[in-house]
Amino acid sequence: MQIAGFDFPDDLYYDSKHSWGRVEGNIVTQGLTDFGQKLAKEIVYVEIPPVGKAVTQGQTFMSIESGKWVGRIPAIVSGKIVAVNEELEWEPTLINKSPFDLGWLVKIEMSNPAELANLMRADSPEFKAFIEAEAEKYKAVLKGGK
Amino acid sequence: MKLYRLGTVPWHYSQLLYHALPRLKREGLILCSPASPYVCIGYFQDAEQEVDLAYCREHDIPVFRREVGGGAVYLDGDQLFWQLVIRKGNPLVPASREEFYRRFLQAPIAAYRAIGIPAQYKPINDIIANNRKISGTGVAEIGDFVVFVGNLIVDFNYEMMVRVLKVPDEKFRDKVYKTLQDNLSTIKRELGYSPPRDELWGLLAEKFSEILGPMEEETRIDPDWKAEADRLGEIMLSEEWLFLRRSPKIERGVTIRAGVEVRQKAYKAPGGLIRATMEVKEGVIADVSISGDFFFYPADRLAELERALVGVRVEEVEEVIARFYAEQGVESPGVTPADFAIALSG
Repeated sequence: MQIAGFDFPDDLYYDSKHSWGRVEGNIVTQGLTDFGQKLAKEIVYVEIPPVGKAVTQGQTFMSIESGKWVGRIPAIVSGKIVAVNEELEWEPTLINKSPFDLGWLVKIEMSNPAELANLMRADSPEFKAFIEAEAEKYKAVLKGGK
Repeated sequence: MKLYRLGTVPWHYSQLLYHALPRLKREGLILCSPASPYVCIGYFQDAEQEVDLAYCREHDIPVFRREVGGGAVYLDGDQLFWQLVIRKGNPLVPASREEFYRRFLQAPIAAYRAIGIPAQYKPINDIIANNRKISGTGVAEIGDFVVFVGNLIVDFNYEMMVRVLKVPDEKFRDKVYKTLQDNLSTIKRELGYSPPRDELWGLLAEKFSEILGPMEEETRIDPDWKAEADRLGEIMLSEEWLFLRRSPKIERGVTIRAGVEVRQKAYKAPGGLIRATMEVKEGVIADVSISGDFFFYPADRLAELERALVGVRVEEVEEVIARFYAEQGVESPGVTPADFAIALSG
């Protein structure tokens, strides 16, 4: 689905920090949305967390750097990290180039699937309103490109 | 919000205090300057790769790895630091990084303008005057806070800055020196003199309060804050913390069959990142492809270097590359044959 000119695949879950989650069984793959990577701009470093690390929904668990800004990314669900995208150590801009595919961050084994209810879906009016408000707020930044 | 106008502080407090404040869940604007020089590297940087540690040790120049992003810098008392610690949820904080920089950089820009320097915001995070950068800035998110640090540069020791950096040779050092001279300015260079420090501190306080609102001024470090800074110092002043980020020398290998392997490696040399993909049969390079963001002159010789490596035993790589450099007159600032050898053979 397109909202404010940005792509938000229908099958994903979204949080308000511009992360997406793809649910496959008990595993959730997390990444940054196209909108999120455009706000962050060119990502120069990614700190890959260790596999096995426990994470909590909404709590930060990994760092990325863009524009001399070391930002932290909150986990989209609680659980245990079971896989990390090691490719990002080589090529952090994969997050910019392919946010929904090659630029995925981690896979988390959910400890509480009920938490998915705290996330938003692309087709919900709530999410549409959220993204439209964000797009309006940052229209100057988003227009600037890279 | 409180304004902590601390003046000159011991060098390590000029870093530890802003790391400590968000951990105490307190907002504040810190204005301070270090009593003695030191080198400060970015959160993601590898001290061994960036800094001439032997020189620093010899000259008693400490090296500190901050949680803030950006690169290695030489800091001293001729730089006036501002360090803004603000809650992410504070209505003054825009969620976009660029908007954040744009908003809060207005304070130092206005301070520079007040003394007659035509400073301007340059996206994403720079202040320029007459086309030269005149401030260093960076951000770290710590817990629920955003920490924004930067400086007014009264004067800058260009020689020391290039001396403390790790460079492969003096030619490269000269190039860095010239680039710095061309691209970084100071208050003294712009005005021909240095205004009194008190005037500059006052301007920073005034211009920040125009954005942040009126602030209650403190001039001392309270005991809780000092205790937290000292506790953090135990960690952040340790060698373990300094060397936590090793350069990415990542290796991935796929064994095709016994004795045949495809290896991919990335190694960050001082002059840039080297990526290598190679096929190794029984310890001998069968095919190799080298890429990265380093400079290599003449550029077309890189393909010849790849060809020269075919048939070479992995442990002889450095010797073969050194010979190739000598014979072909190749130059690659900041990347030595030894760096290639690490990238290729580990």
